[in-house]
Amino acid sequence: MPSLKDLKTKITSVSSTKKITSAMKMVAASKLRRSQEKAESARPYSSRLEEMLLSLASSRIAGEGVIRLLTGTGKQERYLVIPVTADRGLCGGFNSNINRETTKYIRSLENEGKNTSLLTIGKKSRDFFNRIMKDKIIESFIDLGSTGAGYDTAMQISNNIQSLYFDDQFDVCVLIFNKFKSAIVQEVTQQQLIPLDVANKRTEDDEDVKEERKDNSIYTYEPDEASILQDLLPKNISIQIFKILLESNAGEQGARMVAMDNATRNAGEMIDGLTLRYNRTRQAFITKELIEIISGAESV
Amino acid sequence: MESTISFDLVSPEQLVFNDKVGMIIVPGKEGDIGVLPGHSKLLSSLRPGRVMVYGEDKHLLQSFFVSGGFVEINPEKCIVLAEEVFEMSSLDKNKIEKQVQELENETSNELKQQYLIAKLKIEALESTHYEKI
Repeated sequence: MPSLKDLKTKITSVSSTKKITSAMKMVAASKLRRSQEKAESARPYSSRLEEMLLSLASSRIAGEGVIRLLTGTGKQERYLVIPVTADRGLCGGFNSNINRETTKYIRSLENEGKNTSLLTIGKKSRDFFNRIMKDKIIESFIDLGSTGAGYDTAMQISNNIQSLYFDDQFDVCVLIFNKFKSAIVQEVTQQQLIPLDVANKRTEDDEDVKEERKDNSIYTYEPDEASILQDLLPKNISIQIFKILLESNAGEQGARMVAMDNATRNAGEMIDGLTLRYNRTRQAFITKELIEIISGAESV
Repeated sequence: MESTISFDLVSPEQLVFNDKVGMIIVPGKEGDIGVLPGHSKLLSSLRPGRVMVYGEDKHLLQSFFVSGGFVEINPEKCIVLAEEVFEMSSLDKNKIEKQVQELENETSNELKQQYLIAKLKIEALESTHYEKI
């Protein structure tokens, strides 16, 4: 049986852990609010840009150069997979879900005989894939900021991806990230970034948007459709990445909040159990001493 | 016809400006575009330059520097999507001049781009075009 002192130490250590986890929960909750606000304020830009892009993309402009971001290289042999995780842990299954899904995806691509490479975003995916498939990693981005990355980070990543693409390093680019469903639910999602998945997007639209898009045909384009599209496509990649970074960050904070809430609750239960044991042991000790005193007195 | 047009200036990080105004001048790729209420439908890309916002009586309300982007215009609404937006009054000329000097001899593409933008910022600061109409 552990001594009273041992139990006391254990209780103190668990309660200080509890203090830390509940503080982390509060911090995550307030960060969650901020990253949600950030994601909210990015929405007008990205939705507008997307609308413009879709109305242009349907006009079927073929060509070389930047347009390849839309049309693809014509092959589907080499995949660039981009797992988006957080820089920090202690957020439940948030990071490991992404890492697991990415590993699974890469294995299945390789079974089909495709060539794969990795570009990791976030410390956790970098560390994970450094251990198991180091040779595949082309580039890693870390330090995304605690309440979501700035647009400049997104731009940097996007420039990097594009220069790899135009260097003919890959044919298809797929992002794997946590989609923010609600503060407690994140969904691991795959999104194809290059070539742009226009057909897929279109089906997601509701009827209103389609109606609106119809009369886009009477727009005047300046300079012309093709050159606007050339400007628009690279920007779209940046904004998509920016959106995903923000979404992933909000998800991370949500996941951490839930994980820390659970940890706090578990610590509370553990403290209750330990306190009960502590009191029982103390009681037993007192009873034992009493018996000793009484039987000592009787024998006199 | 309405005497105002609703104008949105959006950057990836936030909605910078959103109000009804009398007129806007945007730096279109092929020349400046003045937008009045009832403008025909137009989609254009922008070059780095000044976006000027005027009130109903055509006095200058606010001006911004944008580093490029797009504008979408229809008779009721004008939307500018810009990657970087600075309010003109927030630009510090001395700082930018220093930046220009630092970047002058850079050769990498990205830094060259920054250099060009910084130079255009100075140009925009010195320019008095369209200030009074």
